[in-house]
Amino acid sequence: MNLSSLARLSSLSTVFASRTLNRSIAFKPISCSSSVSVPHAPTSLNPNLPLFLRPPTFTATLSDLQKWQNWAKNLASSIGSSFTDSDNGPDSEILHRELNWLIEDALQNPKPLLTRNDSDHDIVLQLRADLGDLYTLWKQRIEKRRPFQYIVGCEHWRDLVLSVEEGVLIPRPETELIIDLVDDTIKQNEELKEGLWVDLGTGSGAIAIGIGKILGDSGRVIAIDLSPIAVQVASFNVNRYNLQDKISVKQGSWFEPLIEFEGRVAGFVSNPPYIPSGHIKGLQAEVGRHEPILALDGGEDGMSDLLHLCKGAALMLKPGGFFAFETNGEDQCLFLVDHMETIHHDSFHNLKIIPDFAGIQRFVTGIRI
Amino acid sequence: MSSNILRKAYNKRPSSIISRYQSISKLFLSSSNPQIQSTDFYSSIDKPQHHASKFEFLSKNASGVSLASNKRLNFSCGCSLNNTRLLFSTQAAVQPSTADGLTVDAIVANQWTILDESESDWKSHASAIAQSIRLIKKRLQWEKLKVRLEMLSFQLEKPDLWDDPVHAGKISREHGSLMGKMKLVNGLEQELIEHIDMIKLAREEEDHDLESESVKALLKMRQSVKEKELEALLAGEHDSCSCYIEVQAGAGGTESMDWAGMVMQMYKMWAERRGYGVTVVDEMRGEIAGIKRATIKVDGEYAYGYAKAEVGAHRLVRISPFDAAKRRHTSFAAVAVTPILGDGSHHVQINESDLRIERYRSGGAGGQHANVTDSAVRITHIPTGITAACQNERSQHQNKASAMAVLQSRLDQREMARQAQMNSQYTQSLTDNSWGNQIRSYVLHPYRMVKDLRTNFEVSDTDSVLEGEIDDFILSFLTDSMDKENE
Ligand SMILES: C[S@@+](CC[C@H](N)C(=O)[O-])C[C@H]1O[C@@H](n2cnc3c(N)ncnc32)[C@H](O)[C@@H]1O
Repeated sequence: MNLSSLARLSSLSTVFASRTLNRSIAFKPISCSSSVSVPHAPTSLNPNLPLFLRPPTFTATLSDLQKWQNWAKNLASSIGSSFTDSDNGPDSEILHRELNWLIEDALQNPKPLLTRNDSDHDIVLQLRADLGDLYTLWKQRIEKRRPFQYIVGCEHWRDLVLSVEEGVLIPRPETELIIDLVDDTIKQNEELKEGLWVDLGTGSGAIAIGIGKILGDSGRVIAIDLSPIAVQVASFNVNRYNLQDKISVKQGSWFEPLIEFEGRVAGFVSNPPYIPSGHIKGLQAEVGRHEPILALDGGEDGMSDLLHLCKGAALMLKPGGFFAFETNGEDQCLFLVDHMETIHHDSFHNLKIIPDFAGIQRFVTGIRI
Repeated sequence: MSSNILRKAYNKRPSSIISRYQSISKLFLSSSNPQIQSTDFYSSIDKPQHHASKFEFLSKNASGVSLASNKRLNFSCGCSLNNTRLLFSTQAAVQPSTADGLTVDAIVANQWTILDESESDWKSHASAIAQSIRLIKKRLQWEKLKVRLEMLSFQLEKPDLWDDPVHAGKISREHGSLMGKMKLVNGLEQELIEHIDMIKLAREEEDHDLESESVKALLKMRQSVKEKELEALLAGEHDSCSCYIEVQAGAGGTESMDWAGMVMQMYKMWAERRGYGVTVVDEMRGEIAGIKRATIKVDGEYAYGYAKAEVGAHRLVRISPFDAAKRRHTSFAAVAVTPILGDGSHHVQINESDLRIERYRSGGAGGQHANVTDSAVRITHIPTGITAACQNERSQHQNKASAMAVLQSRLDQREMARQAQMNSQYTQSLTDNSWGNQIRSYVLHPYRMVKDLRTNFEVSDTDSVLEGEIDDFILSFLTDSMDKENE
């Protein structure tokens, strides 16, 4: 097991490295085609500032924007349900809504576009991206199936707006529930509320930040990821929510960087890669073509990382400590619970399987004995 | 010279009524000072003193305005609850009156001819104002309001009131709001009386500048009180709240979905015209056109007060653009309106365990498999079967929060309707309107006409109505039903 996981790790790292390389070539940051170039990075942490945070240094008249919008709408309409039919991708209704959000993020003051004031067609709007850039972005959205969240550089997750970019998994709505599970737990247990929590494979930092916001004054979070881009983006997000004193982001593999905290961790939370390798090819285009495989591929049955993390939970958690893992669904949940009850039967109790809002058995939680 | 000083005082903002009066009393010596009272100013000498004193008492408490002419009688009467109660039981009998004993009711009774605003005739202005005040009182259900206030003050006095803080909070809120209305009306009556006193005074003094300025002030009041007439239409307990407007297509496929979409668009434009914030909370589009149903949130003062007038079925007659045979179709869209009560004034406490929360329009394996920007959530309140959905927020968490807010207000409304049925004493009958009731008809063919079936108010410029110019419909309905109800 050790050997194979090591092998997998190194093979993934290779994939990972090549993807990063790829990315730096293929991914041209949303830049200003206009000659007035903008200093995009006030902090060196994140080279790709989300669109909504960029300075509104571009202008366009309302009527020009509306013309662009009509073009974009038509492009979206032409999709109909073809993406949905082929790989459960977005239909044109969803794309229309994304278009509105793109405009919302691009405009300094999105209000006037909502109203139909026929009279003031030439009012000048302040934009955070040039119309030409918006054109390119929307074409990428439709033609390349580039995820909307990479287009605008952010994902709204719970009450957070997290910066995301290629190389970092876009946090999923299902994962929001992990924060509710943690919240329920620490509400009943003051000790856990003030303890040390870890988020393994933090990606954009979503879970770590969500937890950081609900912990008590002395509660801390360590967020770990193997991917340097994830570490960068997570740090950026942590800083943006001013949680750098509460959350430390570390690069490393799973619980390796945590050896010093063995048996002292209050909460152990992870949404590790869990898609079986064989499914990767057939994924929805937005996911398969654009999101990092390191964040998705969970080995042959999708369970390699989850099983590895079970060991970690047994090792790291202190008695009474809480863990929560996200899984691919019922099969993985049942397998995990069974595994824990047999292999780690003296380590955990109160094992629970919890469904997401779509009714899919999604999470396994438990308490360290 | 005196009139110059007066004019200066006069030109100040409304609070100047007091200062103005003070300066007058200083200059001319007030009538209420018996030793130096100059009867010249007043046609009637025997001004009932107790009248003034009670009025002083009233104004101190109810409007915070005190007549300088009555300074001598300025006995203390703080605001202790006992006094307050006394105040309410006595004030019915008390009305402010001019130096010569003229009251607002007397002015109404005099039936002075009301001329056009442009005619600078003080009696006409005064008469118009007095009528408005009477209308406002009627709309506020004055007699009921007084009884209610008295009851509330009585409850507020109970020593165990705050043992039930929710109830206590409710009572004090309602008490505060009714008090505000009472003060408003008392203030208006007093202001009118003061203006008249001023005019009479100016006439006595033959100070034409002062007289014309006083008449102008009266005219101003006449205009502002007209607006207050409208505001008094929105005196219901929840009228000042923001609200949800929900539109649902009736039977009839694409044509009626298109109509529901048009109705929703009409409300969006209406709300924007009024400066309200509009957000789409939930929207289910028709396959070809329009909407099956949609809910918008309308944010702003009195959104509910106005929008509640729209509850019911709206009927459209036109040649359907979706009918190849170009036949005339009749379709319906149902409109429901729900007030958004402030935190702490909810009528229903939602139990988490009574809820079923579902992601909808989700298919497939979800989780890491899917990239979605759609995180629509539907919440069902299992005991009542009431549901609420939201899909226009950018995170599932926010969709859930919005849907919860809609659910809360639907449950609140249901509970209020239940309570209203139980005690029909002090309720707003408007909200009872079932949304199956046909309230308005929009005919685009063979002629063009929008007609409200409740008031018979009609407009032939159908386009402007569909572009959100529905204020006249709303106001005529509110006026009608209010004034009828209080007959
Ligand atoms: C499914 S993503 C979850 C990201 C984030 N927690 C979320 O829920 O949005 C899995 C994450 O695990 C990270 N990861 C993969 N292998 C890892 C390893 N050996 N050690 C640490 N992190 C790893 C990936 O880089 C990725 O960010």
